[in-house]
Amino acid sequence: MRRSYLGEFEEVVLLTVAVLGTGAYGVAITDELDRQTGRAVSISAVHAALHRLEEKGMLKSHLGEATAERGGRRKRLFSVTVLGSRTLHDIRAVRDQLWDSISPQGLPAVSL
Amino acid sequence: MKPPKYADKLLQFFCAPHLFEEIQGDLYERFLRNAKLFGLPYARRQYVREVLSFLKPFFFKRQANEHPSISFLNPVMIRNYLKIAWRNIAHNKSFSAINILGLALGMACSLLILLWIQDEFSVDAYHANGPQLYNVMERQFYDGKVDASPGTPALLADELKKEFPEIVYASGLSWEQELTFSVGEKLNKEKGRAAGPDWFKMHSLPLLAGTAETALNGPTNIAISRQLAENYFGSPQAAMGKSIRLGNKDDYQVSAVYEMPENSSETYDYVLSWADFMRHNEWLKEWGTNALQTRIQLRTDRNGVPADPGRLEAKMKAFLKKYNPKMATKGLDIQLFLQPYPEAYLYSNFKNGYQDGGRIEYVRLFGIVAVFILLIACINFMNLATARSVKRAREVGVRKVVGAGRGWLIGQFIGEALVLTSLALVLAVGVVWMLLPVFNTLTEKHISFQFANASFWVTLLVMTLATALIAGSYPALFLSSLNPVRILKGSIRFGSGARLFRQSLVVFQFALSMLLIIGTIIVYRQIDFIQTKNLGFDREGMIYLQAEGDLAAKYETFKQELLRMPGIQTVTFMNGTPTTSFGTTGNVQWPGKDPATSIQFQFSQVDYDFTKTLKVKVAGRDFSRDFATDSVSYLINKTAARRIGYRDPIGKPLTLWGKPGLIIGVVDDFHQNSLHVAIEPFIAKLSPAAEGKNIIIRTQPGQTKQALASLETMWHQLNPTFPFTYQFADEAFQRLYRSETVVGTLANYFAFLAVFISCLGLFGLAAFMAEQRTKEIGVRKVLGASVTSIVSLLSQDFLKLVGVAIVLSSPVAWYAMNRWLQDYAYKVEIEWWVFALAGLLAVGVALLTISFQSIKAALMNPVKSLRSE
Repeated sequence: MRRSYLGEFEEVVLLTVAVLGTGAYGVAITDELDRQTGRAVSISAVHAALHRLEEKGMLKSHLGEATAERGGRRKRLFSVTVLGSRTLHDIRAVRDQLWDSISPQGLPAVSL
Repeated sequence: MKPPKYADKLLQFFCAPHLFEEIQGDLYERFLRNAKLFGLPYARRQYVREVLSFLKPFFFKRQANEHPSISFLNPVMIRNYLKIAWRNIAHNKSFSAINILGLALGMACSLLILLWIQDEFSVDAYHANGPQLYNVMERQFYDGKVDASPGTPALLADELKKEFPEIVYASGLSWEQELTFSVGEKLNKEKGRAAGPDWFKMHSLPLLAGTAETALNGPTNIAISRQLAENYFGSPQAAMGKSIRLGNKDDYQVSAVYEMPENSSETYDYVLSWADFMRHNEWLKEWGTNALQTRIQLRTDRNGVPADPGRLEAKMKAFLKKYNPKMATKGLDIQLFLQPYPEAYLYSNFKNGYQDGGRIEYVRLFGIVAVFILLIACINFMNLATARSVKRAREVGVRKVVGAGRGWLIGQFIGEALVLTSLALVLAVGVVWMLLPVFNTLTEKHISFQFANASFWVTLLVMTLATALIAGSYPALFLSSLNPVRILKGSIRFGSGARLFRQSLVVFQFALSMLLIIGTIIVYRQIDFIQTKNLGFDREGMIYLQAEGDLAAKYETFKQELLRMPGIQTVTFMNGTPTTSFGTTGNVQWPGKDPATSIQFQFSQVDYDFTKTLKVKVAGRDFSRDFATDSVSYLINKTAARRIGYRDPIGKPLTLWGKPGLIIGVVDDFHQNSLHVAIEPFIAKLSPAAEGKNIIIRTQPGQTKQALASLETMWHQLNPTFPFTYQFADEAFQRLYRSETVVGTLANYFAFLAVFISCLGLFGLAAFMAEQRTKEIGVRKVLGASVTSIVSLLSQDFLKLVGVAIVLSSPVAWYAMNRWLQDYAYKVEIEWWVFALAGLLAVGVALLTISFQSIKAALMNPVKSLRSE
C-alpha cells in the first residue's frame, strides 16, 4: 500500500515543509525543525533530505528571488506535491489505525 | 563580515554545481545570523563546520544534463557510425568494391611479403647459443686485392680452441658431400657433412637419440637426421648403434639421431666425425689449404656475459702467420676475422674483403615493395573518399550543426576506414591462405599461418590499424574541416588545394608502379642476358656424373665402352664442373714472375678430350695421347695468359705445384662460375686418376634419351653398388641464378599488382569525374562536340598525371637498378627504351582504364543528362 518508503527524518522534513507553506527553504526548515522538535539538525542533513524527497517526487521546488542577506544568492523554495501529501496522509492513517487498535491496557500509563 | 574564503573555495570545489547556489546561500544566511548573535569568530568557525558537514557523496554527485553530450565512444554513437558506414558501403557498391578489392590485394601482397621477411629472419635464429656463435673467416690480401672467404684450414678449429681461453667450443664444417648409403638391401645417395666433436654442443639441433657429448667422438660415428633414421631403420631409437655402409667401403655406427629444423641455412642429413674426414683427406692437414668452415662458441662468464668478440678478433688476426710462415714470402697475407653466425645467412656478401649486403638487400627491397603496394592501395582509398566528399559534405554539415566536434568526425571517418580495412583484411587473409602453397614452392620455403602465435595476430592488427589510419587520415582531416554553414547553404567550393593533393597522389601512385615496372623489365633483361650469354662453352647437351665407387678405377673402360654406345659424343673428367669451379691455387711459377705477387689461378685436373667435350675454343692443342710429355703440359685461358704476360704463350715454360712443363694451348675465356664474378686466370693439367672428379659427357645433339640409357647401362655394369645419378649442365647452371629467378618472378607479380591496384583507383576517379561532368558533357554534345573530342577531354587530365609520374620515377628507377646490377661482373646496359617501354605501358594501361568511363560518358544521350533540370 505504501508507494514509497519514507524515513522518520524525511517524514519530519516533509511535514515541516507543509508547516512552512510558501516559505520553505533550507535555513527556514532547519530553524523550524529545531524549534518544533528541539533537536539540533545539521543543515547538510536537511538539504540531503530535501533533495531526496524531491527525487522521490514528494516535493517540488523552484528558485526564489535573490536577497541581500544571502549575498545575492537565490534560495530554493520547496512545496509538497500531491504524492507527498498522499504519502503523509497514508502514514497518518496507518498510525491512527494502529492507535485505534491499541486496547486501553495495551500501553503502560504515562503521566504527561 | 565575510565567511572564510578557503571554506567557500572548498565548497565550490566539491559541491555539485546545481546545488551550489542554494547551499552557499543558506550557509551565508546562517553565517550572518550567527555573526550577529554570537560574534564573528564563532560564525566563521560554524561556517567551516557546516561546509565540512556537506562533505558527503550526495553533494558531490553531478546532475545528469538534460541534454547530455554523448561521448564519442558511446555505444549509441558507435552504432550510428557503423550504420552510416555500412549504408555508404552498400549504397556505392562499385566504389566500395574498388576500395575493398584494392585494399585486399595490397594487404594480401604485403602480408605475403611480411610472412616471407619473418621467415627470413627466423633462419638460424633457433640456436640457444646463437649470440656466442661466430664464423671464423679469412681476409686475404694478395695481388693488390682483398678477398673475404669462409674457407679456413681444416686444422684451425682445434688450434684456436687450444690457444684462446675465450673459446669454449670450436668445430670445423666440411663442404657438402654426397655419399651412397647402404643398409641391408636399401641403397641411396645422401647429402651430409663432417664436423668436429663439439658440433652438437654448439648448435641447438634437437637430439632424438644419443647425446651431444658422444655423437661425434669416435672416428666411425655417424649422426643422422630423423628422416634417414626413419627411412633406413624405422625409428630414431631403432637406428641407434646400427651400422651403415658408406660408399660401399666403410661401416659407420649411428651415434645420434637429430632433427634438422626447417629454418636452417645449412642442412645436412648426416654428420661424420672430423677424424674420419681428415683420414680421407690427407691433403687438408696442410696449413696452406683453406677449404673448410670454422665455427667457434665464445665462453660466457658466471653471469652469462660472453667474451668480447672484438678483442678476440684482434688477438687472432695474425694467428695464421705462425702456422703458415711461407705465406709472406708468396706476397700473401691472410688475416682471420669473425662474423656472428646468426647474421651469416642474411649478410653473406663480401666485397673487397668487407661485409657488403647479401640476402638482407632482398629483404629490404621486398619490405619496401610491401610498403609501396600498401601505400598505393591506401591512396586509392584516399582519392576516392576525397573525390566523393561532396556527397558526404552534407552529412558532415548536419553532424556539426547538431554538435559533433571535429575530433568526433575524424574518429568517425577513420572508423569507417577501419570497417573497410577489416573487410579487406578478411579477404586478404583468404587470398594469402590460398596462395601460400604456390608461394612456398616458388621461394622454396615452409611458411604457414601461425594461428597459435600471438605475434601473428599482432601483425594483422597493426597492419589493419596502420592501413586504416593512413587511408582514413586525409579524408577524415579534410571532411572534418569543412565549414557547416557554407555546406548547408550549398555554397561550398572545393579549393584547388584538395584537387592538387589528389592529383599528386595519383602521380605518386603511378610513379611507384612505374618503378616496379622498370625494375621488372631490367631484372628480366638481366636474367635473359645470363641465359643467352655465350659462356665460352656449350652447356646444352652436357651431363655430369660423379666418379665414385668402382667408376673411378674403371674409368678408362667406362669411357671406351661409352664412346661405342649410342648418343655419346665425347667423355672427359675434371675437378669441379664447368659451371662451378673447384678451387684456386697460388702455386704457379714462370720465368720472370715477380716473387712478391701472388696470383690466384682457378685450376682443374682433367682428362683427354677436355676442350672437345666442353666445346671451348683452343689455340694450340688439347692434351693428347700422342705426346708422352703431356703429363706436365698445361692448358691456360686467355686471362691467365694476359696475367702471366707471355705475348705468344704456346710452348712457353710454366711450373704448377713445383712441376715444370710447357703451355700447349690457350683456351678462350669461359665462365667457371656465375656471372656475378669476373673470369679469373685458369689452368688445367692432365690427371691420370678419375678419383674425386666429375665425369663430363657430351651427348650427340638430339639424342639425350639414348645417351642417358647408355650411361645407365654402363653404370650398372661397372658400378652396380651405387645408384645411378646424373645432372644436366643446364640445370646446374640454372641453379646458380635461383635467387634472381625467384626475385624476377616475384617482382613481376608485384609490378602487375601495383599497376592493377593503381588502375582500380584511376578507374574509380575517372568514373567519378565523368559523373561530375555529366551536364558539361551534355551541353558540349548539344553544341556539337564529337565523341572523340569528349573522350580526349576526359582522358587528358589523367594522362598528364601519368606523364608526370613517368618523368619523376625514371631517374629513381635508373639509380636503383644501376645499384642492383653492380652485383654482376657481366650485366646488361640500362637502355633508354626500357623507360620508354615502361612509360608506354603505364600510359596504355591508364588510357585503357579511363577510356571505358570516358567513352561511356561521351556516348550518353545529352537529352537524358540535361532533362533533369
